[in-house]
Amino acid sequence: MKITTYINDERKDFQVEPGEVLLDLLRREGYTSVKEGCKTGDCGACMVLVNGRAMTSCTLFVSQVDGKKVRTSEGLHDELAENLRKEFVEVGAIQCGFCIPGVLVSSYSLLTHNPDPTEEEIKAALDGNLCRCTGYVKQIEAIKNVARDFEGVSK
Amino acid sequence: MLKNVTEYHIPGSLDEALSLQDRESRSYFIAGGTGLALSNSNRPVELIDLGKLHLDELHLEDESGKLEIGATTKIQQLVELDELQDFAGGYLANNLEKVGSYPIRNAGTLGGSIVRPFPWSDVVPILLSLGAKIRYFDGTHGVRDLNNLYSDDFRETLRNSIVTGIEVDLPEVGETRGRFYKFSRSEFDIASLNLGCTLTALNGKITRARMAVGARPSFARRLTEVEDFLQGQSLENDLAEEATEMAADTAGVTGDRKMSKDYRLAQVRKMTEEALTGVIGDFLEQ
Repeated sequence: MKITTYINDERKDFQVEPGEVLLDLLRREGYTSVKEGCKTGDCGACMVLVNGRAMTSCTLFVSQVDGKKVRTSEGLHDELAENLRKEFVEVGAIQCGFCIPGVLVSSYSLLTHNPDPTEEEIKAALDGNLCRCTGYVKQIEAIKNVARDFEGVSK
Repeated sequence: MLKNVTEYHIPGSLDEALSLQDRESRSYFIAGGTGLALSNSNRPVELIDLGKLHLDELHLEDESGKLEIGATTKIQQLVELDELQDFAGGYLANNLEKVGSYPIRNAGTLGGSIVRPFPWSDVVPILLSLGAKIRYFDGTHGVRDLNNLYSDDFRETLRNSIVTGIEVDLPEVGETRGRFYKFSRSEFDIASLNLGCTLTALNGKITRARMAVGARPSFARRLTEVEDFLQGQSLENDLAEEATEMAADTAGVTGDRKMSKDYRLAQVRKMTEEALTGVIGDFLEQ
């Protein structure tokens, strides 16, 4: 089947298998920030924004993003995204880096919808992201630091 | 990836959607699609997308307490909707936030959570403990008690139906409050046991009680004997003790590799006691 989707603000037309999941399409098309981890919706390494909502791309059929906006970590370029990247590096919230694009997407989604989250809200937003080396303490600290200085971005 | 899927349909009406089902049951309805995407099953050959049927509407009648929610409504939408923040004292919105993780709730739908027969579902006991009914379409529109969801005859009906939504009728008088508990290894792991309870009270007496337990490890069920015992009683903390033993006797729990029968029974007792003392405490503090 044919679908049209808008990946990182760019219109894309694809011929896809209807039973294919979005993760496989994105990887095939070179969006390599989207990682294949568990492929069961548990680890969040394949996190993307679909119409502004964080979703695991391994649990979405490609057919379901027809006509929708998909944003991967590569497509996050505004001030908020840059601040998140910088802060993750500065506080040491990254080791192997495999989970980080997904964590950044979740963090970006949180701060876009809730610029002043509590620690509990940050933990809840990262509920769908697993990190097996750095852990979450530094990631939460980085998000808090960005939130403290954050003055809002357009959704 | 569902390797054998070759057709994808987007019907414009319920009748058209039903007509697209094939006789060999190799066509599958999807809304959020999360459950089916995870299955990696070779069985489906056709997907029928219910996303264009406008089954994502919500109606709440403030005066009667009647709530209707369309089947393709996303779980996270229900967590966030302003209209639901005070419904049953926030019971529905607050506890649906315990279902899965944020990204899964953003994709997963109410109907999908009901129709796929996962015994560990958190959605089903939350809805059962509100006394919810299920709405379906099998050529004509039908409504049935959600407590029948896992009965053989209703599963048969659902094979040739589309779940269109749920409805909850709270008593028109009195206030409703509830508690839901989930026991799992981590926040968004599947439950090893879950239990929900709502009480409606008027003038210090319980006028309606609904209690349900799931992940027993078998399918969720209502504890109607406990409900009957509670209805008509005065709101007093010592109710919890008797109801707790009754819940343990009637929950029908067994053991599995996640939890022994004795441990599950201990959890049923603890959750029942905390639920009842918590809800009764809420009423007494008012």
